[in-house]
Amino acid sequence: MALVQLNGVSKRFRKGEETIIPLDDVTLDIHEGEFVSLMGPSGTGKSTLLNLVSGIDRPDAGTIKVDGTELTSLSRGRLADWRAANLGYIFQTHNLIPVLTAYENVELPTLLLKLSSAKRRQRVELALEAVGLNDRADHYPRQLSGGQEQRVGIARAIVAHPRIVVADEPTGSLDAESSEQIQELLKRLNHELNITMLMVTHDQNVASISSRRLILNRGKFTEVPSTVV
Amino acid sequence: MLTVSGAAVAMFVFCFVGAVQEGLQRLTTGIDADRCLIVFQENRFCPTSSRLPEDYARQILDVHGVRDVIPIQVWTNNCRASLDIVVFNGADPDQIRRNRPLQLTAGSWENFSDRRDAAIVGRNVAQRRGLNIGDQFSIGNVSVKVTGIFSSTVPSEENLIYTSLAFLQYTRGVDAAGLVTQHEVRLTEEADPDQVASEIDKVLRSGPVATTTRRKGAFQASTLSDLVDLIGFAHWLGYACVGLVLSLVATTTVMSVQDRIQEYAVLQTIGVRPMRIMRLVLAESSLLCLVGGVSGTLLATVVLAFGGFAIGAEGATIAFRPSLSLVLTGTGISLLLGLIAGITPGIQAATVPIVAALRQE
Repeated sequence: MALVQLNGVSKRFRKGEETIIPLDDVTLDIHEGEFVSLMGPSGTGKSTLLNLVSGIDRPDAGTIKVDGTELTSLSRGRLADWRAANLGYIFQTHNLIPVLTAYENVELPTLLLKLSSAKRRQRVELALEAVGLNDRADHYPRQLSGGQEQRVGIARAIVAHPRIVVADEPTGSLDAESSEQIQELLKRLNHELNITMLMVTHDQNVASISSRRLILNRGKFTEVPSTVV
Repeated sequence: MLTVSGAAVAMFVFCFVGAVQEGLQRLTTGIDADRCLIVFQENRFCPTSSRLPEDYARQILDVHGVRDVIPIQVWTNNCRASLDIVVFNGADPDQIRRNRPLQLTAGSWENFSDRRDAAIVGRNVAQRRGLNIGDQFSIGNVSVKVTGIFSSTVPSEENLIYTSLAFLQYTRGVDAAGLVTQHEVRLTEEADPDQVASEIDKVLRSGPVATTTRRKGAFQASTLSDLVDLIGFAHWLGYACVGLVLSLVATTTVMSVQDRIQEYAVLQTIGVRPMRIMRLVLAESSLLCLVGGVSGTLLATVVLAFGGFAIGAEGATIAFRPSLSLVLTGTGISLLLGLIAGITPGIQAATVPIVAALRQE
């Protein structure tokens, strides 16, 4: 069974007098361990799809199941609980809490789980080690570079051992060197930890690290062959 | 910082108004106010206008239910409302010592009894006028030697200066030989105050001067009736302060939530429940209000404790003093206001459309 199942999902937005339909009766399966890139021109619904799979937005039609849980039937509170236990979200602009250190930012998701403090500490340290930032644990976001902030964001996304990690343009605000580091990191996490990833990007280069590429246009998907080995 | 200091100032004023009202309540209620009667000249209001025969005391003592009678001559520098009122009570030193809840913090009762122009001064007056033992204090035609400074469990007492009855009666300008302003009547435990009051007036009706006898609390409330009305109006000032704190903290919280709406959306994306977000906002607004409110309350407490403030009129004074109930009320109201101020922004933060909030810069 697929980890993520979208069935007949549609989403509409009203923009003044106009109705925009970024997703129109979309059906999609994503299997465990896959690294899927969503690509397409601006405004074609890539981020919308990501938000629906994350449970931070609701479809107007259709159902979304992640690991057997139908997100569309959950209340706002239950969706939050589900996200805490099952989802990691990597934002384009990092979105770290500025008054918390790197360690504390990564620790945040673990505070929502029933973990002992020792277990929590272990997970945070492992997550920071995985992204290579153990030596920056007590730094505040303002003391980190853009690339380092994004790595903290990635650590935060994986610390709770989520079933799926979604990334919305994870390299969108980074320079070329930092972007490459992040790409490598995401590829490594997918391969070594078998983390299922759903990533939105408009960059072909970034999309090349994924095992599956979907082009979204006019509310429909087209799958393109991946060149990743 | 501005919000905290604004809340502090508003709660400072609130506590001050509260202290005034508590002072009035202390004066007009309680055991002393209820179990003690004041015999005053009928249809007179200002102490200078009430002149009762001193020997009325013997007749009053014969009334059933009366335990003791203290003839008192009252002299004040200002019959009108004033923050710097000086009130002299002239009475027998032994009776003062026996009946008044006074503790000498400096000086001695013996010196007070031995000297005709001796005076014991309430702590508030001593502080306000800078008086010490041995000082000669003169005001109007009255000139006394300070032989004692006292404190009292009844705050209004600390605004008085006690002298011997004879001294005040024979002071130039007072010229009240054989006369007193009022008789203070102490009752036995089982006596009905109103019944005894009525009996006293009946007994004294045949005398040279008709009297009105009332419970001390009622007498003081009547004496201070103008001030009572003003103090009642000041109640609204207290409410205005509460409203000010609420609007200050609510505005700050709303602005803070607006500024950090993206952060709240990130927290919800990570998996923080909406109710928890709301509790975060409520905690923030409560803390803000509590810090400001408690600071203002404590500052008011200190100022009231050491400032010796009082207001008086026609020989009666209201002391402004801090109290535990004032501190607790100030703290409780600060906490409650903080919670109320946080409700709407809390709901806003908890129910924000996550996607739209994440897109905000």
